[in-house]
Amino acid sequence: MTKDQRIKKRHRAEARFKLYGLLSIILALTFVGFLVFTIFSKGSDAFSKTTIKVNVSFNAEILSLPSNPSLEDIQDADYYDLALESINKLLLTSNPDDEKLLKKLFSPDFDLEIKNYLVKNPDLINQTQDINLTSSDDIDQLFKGNFPRDIPEDRRQVNDRQLEIFDELVAQDKIQKKFNNYFFTNGDSRDPELAGIGASLLGSFFSVVICLILSFPIAILASIYLEEFAPKNKITDFIEININNLAAVPSIVYGLLGLGILLGFMNFPRSTPLVAGITLALMTLPRIIIPCRASLKAVPPSIREGALAVGASKFQSVFHHVVPLSLPGTLSGTIIGLAQALGETAPLILIGMVAFVVDIPGSPIDPASSLPAQVYLWSESAERGFVEKTSATIMILLTFLIVMNFIAVYLRQKFEKKWN
Amino acid sequence: MKERKIKIKTENLEVYYGEKQALFDVNLEIHEKEVTALIGPSGCGKSTFIRCINRMNDVIDICKIKGSIEIDGKNINHKSIDVVRLREKVGMVFQKPNPFPKSIYDNIAYGPKIHGITKNKGELDNLIENSLRKAALWNEVKDRLHEPGTSLSGGQQQRLCIARAISVNPEIILMDEPCSALDPIATAKIEELIDELRETYTIIIVTHSMAQAVRVSQKTGFFHLGKLIEFGTTEKMFKNPSNNMTQDYITGRFG
Repeated sequence: MTKDQRIKKRHRAEARFKLYGLLSIILALTFVGFLVFTIFSKGSDAFSKTTIKVNVSFNAEILSLPSNPSLEDIQDADYYDLALESINKLLLTSNPDDEKLLKKLFSPDFDLEIKNYLVKNPDLINQTQDINLTSSDDIDQLFKGNFPRDIPEDRRQVNDRQLEIFDELVAQDKIQKKFNNYFFTNGDSRDPELAGIGASLLGSFFSVVICLILSFPIAILASIYLEEFAPKNKITDFIEININNLAAVPSIVYGLLGLGILLGFMNFPRSTPLVAGITLALMTLPRIIIPCRASLKAVPPSIREGALAVGASKFQSVFHHVVPLSLPGTLSGTIIGLAQALGETAPLILIGMVAFVVDIPGSPIDPASSLPAQVYLWSESAERGFVEKTSATIMILLTFLIVMNFIAVYLRQKFEKKWN
Repeated sequence: MKERKIKIKTENLEVYYGEKQALFDVNLEIHEKEVTALIGPSGCGKSTFIRCINRMNDVIDICKIKGSIEIDGKNINHKSIDVVRLREKVGMVFQKPNPFPKSIYDNIAYGPKIHGITKNKGELDNLIENSLRKAALWNEVKDRLHEPGTSLSGGQQQRLCIARAISVNPEIILMDEPCSALDPIATAKIEELIDELRETYTIIIVTHSMAQAVRVSQKTGFFHLGKLIEFGTTEKMFKNPSNNMTQDYITGRFG
């Protein structure tokens, strides 16, 4: 082979390598784009709900309210009959079969919605008001265009007569899309139109806060001691190797630990953010210690020597110079560790955080779910309405993760000091 | 030239890094308010030697020291000597300028603050001005004391480090190849400065440049493979060395 051929071959090899690299990046971006597109196209519907406009007359007699009712009276009254009467007015002719079918177009809590409306506006007694009541899941999907109308009637949840009523209501402009506040404020429910991420959002929040409170100070102190003060000997090496190993332990093992020790031995309450937070903290500790140590190590030894040489003690050189300089790396490492904890599902399954939680938790010792566990739960449900809810929850979770990662990058860039 | 008082005295000083012996039986007397230059090929133990004087080697776990080092007649490795006080008395300037990534002002204020040398801000400001003046840096930085010290040029950074060392009123200043990262003009400025500082401080400077040793020092020590081969006045050392190895080294035949 001549020299020229050899050089040509070398250039070709480089060009080939660049091409492969470019192709892998394009492929990776395609996958990410595909994932984001699927999630967004499925999930965006969950942020709106379908409502049916109903004219309600708050008749004090039907509600059997006393004259000048107190707020308690209004709260205690039975709204079911009033609600039925109001929605039946949507039909032109009174027909018991139709009324039964009509009721199924609404979410099962439709009387509660009327009650809540009156509780908020108690002046409306003996007056009439148009209220947008939440529709049932099927009508919701029908209006959003996700419901197959053309399959045989006996295989549909919505029969032909109901479709007729629905079309009539659409023609009267009584069916509308509204912002789905239930998705954020409600806990879980068997009815997709009423199910929300409130319980899991708060559960995740409490868990991550507890995880932060426990893991951050311990991880920082441990890494400072190991990096700056610990004598370099076999015991330190042993601890270091074990921390690295612990960071690689599958997260479900930490779930087993939480189940065995926190729930089994110490009798902590099941499926609570407290237990989840402690378990996640155990899992996150080594994952924070590693970047913390790396950022301490990255501070040049000349800074330590400079401080020691003017007579600073070891403690002063570490806490006046090394720790502040390592802060950007330390903080971003912590945030990324917490982001991992936020998205962790496996250990939570074992400690019972994958529970059907209807009530919004008020404190870390109330039963709660968590965002990734909620995704897991809903992805297994049969109703069509849960498909969009699953994707929407993933969107919320991804939003939090992206925000946290941006904060990490921002902190690192803002506080990074350049030497020389 | 009359003999000055002995400031630092080492007897049978031996240093080990783990199994490896870095210094062999070093006996040396360094006089007050003189510049002592230490020369020798790389790895000969000069830096190890000066790092013993402010006990910078304490940081290295595997480092063991035998023999004695006395400053003003007191053994600095004795239990009763606090290393923080020792380093207040023995300042150090490193090979690569290492200002803290803080403002020029804070770089110099750090030492006095941790030792509680000044009582109020006025005194501290004065001390900072004096330190910068002594380091011949005041005129260049007086209008930008609150800019980061790392924004200065290499030579200015090194003078800033000298000012930082001076700020805690040391008696001895150790300089470990202070000019090796600097250009000739910055080097000239530092050398001039060393000559001025000699009136106040005892200075030990490690250098690879024979010319620098001749220019700045009164005494010179030649180290080779961890042994002090020859020690004496710079004049005699470079004109008429008594040891053949010294002769070979200063004439560039090895090293």
